[in-house]
Amino acid sequence: MHIDLKKEIKESGPGKTGLFILLLMVAMALLAPVIAPYNPYQQSTTSLLPPSLSHWLGTNHVGQDIWSRLVFGARTSLLVGFGVGILSTLLGTIFGVSAALVGGLYEKVLMRIVDAFIVIPMIIVIILISAYIRPSILTLILFLSLLSWQGGARIMRAQALSLKERGNVAAAKSFGASHFYIAWRHVVPDLGPILLVDFIYGVRRAVFMEAGLAFLGITDPTVVSWGMMMRDALSFSYLNVWQWWLVPTGVALSLTIIGLTFVGHAAEPVIEPRLRGAEVA
Amino acid sequence: MLSKQNLVTYTIALLFILSLNFFLPRMMPGDPLMAIYGDEALIAMTPELKAHLIERFALDKPLWQQLGAYFLALFQGDLGYSYYYNAPVSSVILGRLPWTLLLVGTSLVLSTMLGIILGIESGWRRGSKTDRAMLAGLMSLNGFPDFFLGMLLLIAFGVTWGIFPLAGALTPYSGLSGLALLFDVLRHLFLPVAALTLAHLTSGYLLTRNTMITVLKEPYMLTAKAKGLSQRVLKYRHAGRNSMLPVVTQTGIWVGRVVTGALFVELVFAYPGVGYLTYEALLARDYPIIQGVFLMVAISVLVANFLIDLSYPKLDPRVSYAY
Repeated sequence: MHIDLKKEIKESGPGKTGLFILLLMVAMALLAPVIAPYNPYQQSTTSLLPPSLSHWLGTNHVGQDIWSRLVFGARTSLLVGFGVGILSTLLGTIFGVSAALVGGLYEKVLMRIVDAFIVIPMIIVIILISAYIRPSILTLILFLSLLSWQGGARIMRAQALSLKERGNVAAAKSFGASHFYIAWRHVVPDLGPILLVDFIYGVRRAVFMEAGLAFLGITDPTVVSWGMMMRDALSFSYLNVWQWWLVPTGVALSLTIIGLTFVGHAAEPVIEPRLRGAEVA
Repeated sequence: MLSKQNLVTYTIALLFILSLNFFLPRMMPGDPLMAIYGDEALIAMTPELKAHLIERFALDKPLWQQLGAYFLALFQGDLGYSYYYNAPVSSVILGRLPWTLLLVGTSLVLSTMLGIILGIESGWRRGSKTDRAMLAGLMSLNGFPDFFLGMLLLIAFGVTWGIFPLAGALTPYSGLSGLALLFDVLRHLFLPVAALTLAHLTSGYLLTRNTMITVLKEPYMLTAKAKGLSQRVLKYRHAGRNSMLPVVTQTGIWVGRVVTGALFVELVFAYPGVGYLTYEALLARDYPIIQGVFLMVAISVLVANFLIDLSYPKLDPRVSYAY
């Protein structure tokens, strides 16, 4: 890998913008109890208030402070996003690298399974499962990870296949190194930037999915999330409350996804070096 | 490309879908009949009906016989019975399917075509101001979830300006026919299609633009330029056509995405397709419908992918030698 990921992102305008947005969202999620003026779950009799100094974004249909819910919603989105990102990248690396190194029947069977999962639309599977098992945040992270590592495994395998032919691996092999040792010491470290790109897109997909599923009502009803807030707001679209209820929530969600897209795209030349210099943005 | 590899892949996918549908309700704690049929059925349940259903699913027999009964019913096109709608699942779904096909089909064609054209134009001007603006703009658009786009369109064009209808696929009890009916359908279709198309434009655009950039470096582009061909021919016939190939392979995966996207958009516009049906079924815990929709959608996406695999070598003969 002779491409410096940090440099790649720093040199791209959208990459910097994306990173800035992401840091902002992470800060919002971490500092939620400090930023939010109210308890996001505290109901009150003053429902559907317009924005005011005491309620920056007004209140919702059960009198909860929308701004506080928005701030705490970032936690759910990012928790699911990063959770799934880490877990699915981990699974993708384990299966992708092991397929490349072990080869043979193991690789063949594994890659057919990977391909099969790539064709099956994930959301539909989750909807079916959650019709039976009400997901909590933790099980949602688990389901999403189990269904989304396959794309990464493909890329990781392809990369590991080429790394496998390098001199250092041959040398290690001649000393009798095990598959695990080779993977850990010689392949995974060189996958670095690719892991990061896979991770970023994994987070993005999960943030998207979590919001969509919550919008359909598939979520932990006791945890506030952006998708759930937008679903609540949809039932009041005939009132003018959408201006401070729906739009800020939707924008927060979209900004998070845009931030991740920009960072991911800036880092993409790592996977496809032919794209380098394509945009001097 | 009907290779053995692909056949195995599709078989695994199909088996996974079928076994999920079979095992999930049967693994639930409690009465499996309840898990297969949902709350609604219990209200309508008489002892005779219960006995009939237990026999129909072979629920008193060992698992492998249940599996046999399941496959037998499936082959007969029997997806079960919805007690919520009081109709066979297959006819409930088939009644909704045309709307979803109309919505998904139109959006898929529009978003792919627009994506390719924008990608060609943007890639041709790579590095320029226009290209950078298009790239940033379309990537931002990609960040908007389809249901958010749908709600924004609904509020702007439906609620505020009242140009388009708010919900449904037809004006109820209007008694329209002929051209007036067609116009009514299109008017209701416009906003959902716009939301889906905008939400799914970017993948086609990015892919075409990326390929365009690599294709433009090919020697044959230089030859074509040296022949003095016009810019339009260079851009669309020489570079553009070759940049479209990867888009075709991806269309299969997009079918899946657009179908699931339709689910959200249909919910926003109360568009009476399969997606809205799924939402209603989730609310009513109407398990037979959820299972039926899952099976139909998953299998249609598989078939779409399969057909695209078949057609690909016709578009790019190099592929058939690659295997």
